[in-house]
Amino acid sequence: MKAVNIRLLLTALPLFAAAAALGNTIKVKGSDTTLPLTQMVAEAFNKQKGVTPVAVTGGGSGVGISALVEGTTDIAMSSRPLKFHEKVKFQANKLVVKEVVIAKDALSVIVHPSNKVGKLTRQQLEDIFTGKITNWKEVGGADARIIVYTRETSSGTYEFFKEHVMNKKNFARTALSMSATGSIIQSISQTKGAIGYVGLAYVNKHVKPLAVSYDSKNYVEPTLSNAQSGKYPITRPLFYFFDTKNEAKLKPFISYILSAKGQAIVKKDGYIPVK
Amino acid sequence: MKNTFKRFIERFVEGILFLSGTITTITVLLIVVFLFREGSGLFNNSTMEKGFVLAINKSNPVSKLSSYEIKEIFDGKITSWKQVGGKDQPIQLFHVEDITNYYTEEQIGANFENLPKLLSNVVDSIPNIVAFVPEMYVDKSFKGRVLPEKKLTLKEFFFGREWFPTSQPAAQFGAFSLITGTLWVSLWAILISLPLGLSVAIYMAEIANPKVRNFLKPVIELLAGIPSVVYGFFGLIVIVPTIQRLFDLPVGETALAGSLILAIMALPTIITISEDAIRTTPRAMKEASLALGATHWQTIYKVVLPYSSSGIAAAAILGIGRAIGETMAVLMVTGNAAIIPSSLLEPVRTIPATIAAEMGEAPQGGVHFEALFALGAILFIMTLIINIVVDFISNKKKISKR
Amino acid sequence: MKDKNTTYNSKRTSQSVAFWIFRFFSMLVVAILFLILSFIIYKGIGVINWDFITKMPENGMTEGGILPAIIGTLCLVGGSILFAFPIGVLSGIYVNEYAKNGWFIRFVRMMTNNLAGIPSIVFGRFGMALFVNYFKFGTSIIAGSLTLGLMVLPIVIRTTEEALKSIDDSFRHGSYALGASKLETIRRVTLPMAFPNIVTGLVLSIGRVSGETAPILFTAAAYFLPKLPSSITDPVMALPYHLYVLSTSGTDLEASRSMAYGTALVLVVMVLFVNLLANALRKFFSKKVKMN
Repeated sequence: MKAVNIRLLLTALPLFAAAAALGNTIKVKGSDTTLPLTQMVAEAFNKQKGVTPVAVTGGGSGVGISALVEGTTDIAMSSRPLKFHEKVKFQANKLVVKEVVIAKDALSVIVHPSNKVGKLTRQQLEDIFTGKITNWKEVGGADARIIVYTRETSSGTYEFFKEHVMNKKNFARTALSMSATGSIIQSISQTKGAIGYVGLAYVNKHVKPLAVSYDSKNYVEPTLSNAQSGKYPITRPLFYFFDTKNEAKLKPFISYILSAKGQAIVKKDGYIPVK
Repeated sequence: MKNTFKRFIERFVEGILFLSGTITTITVLLIVVFLFREGSGLFNNSTMEKGFVLAINKSNPVSKLSSYEIKEIFDGKITSWKQVGGKDQPIQLFHVEDITNYYTEEQIGANFENLPKLLSNVVDSIPNIVAFVPEMYVDKSFKGRVLPEKKLTLKEFFFGREWFPTSQPAAQFGAFSLITGTLWVSLWAILISLPLGLSVAIYMAEIANPKVRNFLKPVIELLAGIPSVVYGFFGLIVIVPTIQRLFDLPVGETALAGSLILAIMALPTIITISEDAIRTTPRAMKEASLALGATHWQTIYKVVLPYSSSGIAAAAILGIGRAIGETMAVLMVTGNAAIIPSSLLEPVRTIPATIAAEMGEAPQGGVHFEALFALGAILFIMTLIINIVVDFISNKKKISKR
Repeated sequence: MKDKNTTYNSKRTSQSVAFWIFRFFSMLVVAILFLILSFIIYKGIGVINWDFITKMPENGMTEGGILPAIIGTLCLVGGSILFAFPIGVLSGIYVNEYAKNGWFIRFVRMMTNNLAGIPSIVFGRFGMALFVNYFKFGTSIIAGSLTLGLMVLPIVIRTTEEALKSIDDSFRHGSYALGASKLETIRRVTLPMAFPNIVTGLVLSIGRVSGETAPILFTAAAYFLPKLPSSITDPVMALPYHLYVLSTSGTDLEASRSMAYGTALVLVVMVLFVNLLANALRKFFSKKVKMN
């Protein structure tokens, strides 16, 4: 038996021959909202000659920023701005962090396609998501329980929605937390009384987006043009954060994504170009 | 000469074996220490974000606020100071960003140099204010009163009902609903998978003919190789809507879905290991029993099962471990709502799912991070208790082999 | 006469009832497996072709192949088994054959059992703290393999232990009586007899390691890498993580969904392949040793 084990080891050794590590790449990590977008841009970017290739991974805005603090990533992608304590951490680790807006995203509030309700005010949204309003009939719909879906606390999408639409109030205890946008879409498409929020790029024919009003008078639909013109109120910037020390190494990629080619990919993927 | 050489080799190999055992032990201890050390740090911290304080006007008689009260105040559910022991005045919330409602950006200064003074003015001028501000802007001349920070107590952690780890100003770390959620889902998963698994193991080992067994064994082992994410999907796309339709519920993400998926995931482990154990019962013992006039079934439950009880216990423990610790699949089908489950048909939130979902966000060393480890430590203790119980039961039934 | 018959009949009835219940449960389990498998096959078969297995991903993961993820998973499985199997089997031998049955051994056994109950995500975090940060391996194959290896170590140890325990002492005593030393007995008698059941532990571990996402999230996995890993200190793409991201984060969910199922199908087929291999191994060893 030991002979077998030793033989196994010897055959495996060349497989694991130590070679140069994956040192020369640009590591991008963070928000799952920006993940598919960044991946597509990276794919196009990597095809060019003579560029430092880009490696992309997800985990959530918080994960990316933590990795930037610890120095395990070059760029942190985030769907929310830095929190105060994160800024403090950067200062403590002597990192000067620069922020670049690479695209904008509209947050769309979605419900099941069969839901009669088609528009809600911000106050109604706040009351629904905090659990004050619990039945659809209170906002003009059928007599059915409202099932609230939200993202997990590590999500930038969650933070943004909480801060801007809910005025920093906490979600209802009974809200269902899903760990990824895809799960929210899946769940809402199969639950009649459901309501949730996702980035505009993810809205598909299985869910119905609502028009939102911040002044109870004008209801705006979440469309690309409304978001670009600024009429749609729930719009947020998507960020890349990086250490200015690495700026030279990262510049090619960052300028690529901000260029016409990069922004065209942004638009194709369902996000709003920065210009 | 040859003898001493052989002896030397023997000692050497025994040494290697001993080393392996030691490595395993050390690793296990390391993980346990890691869990508990990080987790215990939780109780040395307050739940308020580091670097922030709560301040009130000097004339306010309230001297302290509990974590829960702070949350309710900032959520707009407690609206009058009277409700927390103060005067009958409405509570006025203030976040540091609100300073622009009172002063212009020029007055504040480009680098916020005037901010401490202005903050002090605002707090002093509004008697019913409660201000959530960074500590660095509260200087010696601050005219308000800073409320003392309260450390999280063991009782608040274990019995608190609300889990809002990122809430500002006061994060809520009430793990009770998480603990009960985990126990509830795991309990049903074990209740479903243990009898089911054991039955299949007995069938495969004793009753089925060899062709059927040779077909079943790889099939069951294949179940073990299906990724947990796929189980999660299967659960979300097939089981959850089925439950929703079957029981006419508003939402299908329930504890039942979680238990079912966990049971299916634990099955291969339980079945294969039990089956191995049952099959190694010496034929002599079985034939002796049959010779005495027992039926096949009686032989099974009076002779074979007690003989293999150690192996079955191992199967149970490993299977239960899988059921309690499973992360990804549960994350997708139970809805993750932090409420105390009152039935199988409601969403729940389990500890592993919580750790998985929030681990990425929690800054290393922060309160949230430590809270997640404390949760892990609780899970470890739960598994330990269950394992001790299973071991105890199996020991009672064991026929001594040595 | 009549009395004996009725007791006999009632015993037969309870046996029939019990056996039919077991038969039913077995069919249920097989049915569940087939349900899940057909679910994966139905949704994933459309994407499977030679290109899928051998090419790199393209066009935002909606086209092309998943070759890097396949290679990544192979590396991780190989690495983790290389670590967990020898140590696990050797520890199992030590615990069962050598160690005296004192409180220390019982303590170790209890701790090892408990290791099996720790959520995979905690392993991931522990692996990150130890291998990625403390030992400075970075997000790499080796960090991921060690973490995954730790996770399946209890399975290997426990199954080895049980396999050895189930061998009756008479075999050992017979061997000693013939003049063999303890080590020779283990090597030539006990271990070969126990090997089939030890292989079970190996198979379960491989299945577990291939499909786990949480432990590799922080220790080895990346979503998109420009090239294949060239050393054990490189991060890798892995099938389960790829599957998770594809099905939950892609903006064009419809398109990436079918790729996701294709990924799942590839993973399951890989595991099936390894299982069949291990089964052949098990049969080989069973034939060599006559048990009862």
